[in-house]
Amino acid sequence: MAVTKEIMETTLTNKLQPIYLNVLDTSGGCGTSFAVEIVSSQFDGKRSLDRHRMVNSALAEELKRIHALSLKMTRTPQQWNEQQAQESRGATN
Amino acid sequence: MMSMATSQSLQSPFSITSTISSSQFRRTNPLLGHFSFKAAVCPSGLFAKENSSRTARRHRAGFKRRSSTALQCTASHGPTGSTGALTPELKATLDKFITSNKVVLFMKGTKDFPQCGFSNTVVQVLKSLNVPFETFNILENETLRQGLKQYSSWPTFPQLYIDGEFFGGCDITIEAYKSGELQELLERAICS
Repeated sequence: MAVTKEIMETTLTNKLQPIYLNVLDTSGGCGTSFAVEIVSSQFDGKRSLDRHRMVNSALAEELKRIHALSLKMTRTPQQWNEQQAQESRGATN
Repeated sequence: MMSMATSQSLQSPFSITSTISSSQFRRTNPLLGHFSFKAAVCPSGLFAKENSSRTARRHRAGFKRRSSTALQCTASHGPTGSTGALTPELKATLDKFITSNKVVLFMKGTKDFPQCGFSNTVVQVLKSLNVPFETFNILENETLRQGLKQYSSWPTFPQLYIDGEFFGGCDITIEAYKSGELQELLERAICS
């Protein structure tokens, strides 16, 4: 079965319980290349490499069938809230 | 930022076409001169292109003739395919390679001709920092390609090693480059 954006989202939601998730099929709908932005409290206290490993591990089955995975953002809820606050400050200035 | 000579003239120790002598190898490769030739060339015998066993045998025999520290690598080509790719011999060879070179990039394609956008991005970042780095083209060897995924516990390429430790793939490298963390780490590694 081809990997779809929905499959990626379901797997990541089940395994990492993110408060924010954005999965983009960057292969133009072919399901072979994806970019992910994810915010999860499970990333607390972990450095980037470990967060990426967690996502890779969650997507172990899907990774066997796709060509490329790009993790654009892996943040904790606190980092995410700070980023949102910064962006809204920037928008009003 | 760093004005060390780049390793543009560096022959990859994995190249099956390198025919230079051990002393030449040390002279042209500042990073490799300080450790044993055995470690630098050991992978070549293992990492010759698959289905080129005659070339690999000639290459291995050649190294034995040139160097008094005869090629000690006893690893065979190993099975193709993803199961059992990381043999103890391959692991030992990889251990040596990543600890013998400060910056190592396992990538698709070569430093001069990357064959993947992600690999190219990391190459360009490292080149822009003027850091000497070794590369290996995982497209040349399927056994190594699969073995490295197990060795690094990382499913994709490129894979960047700094000072003997796995640093990350393209996304982590870009993130660290933007924050300045990459430059700091590289400077510490090169100067140590």
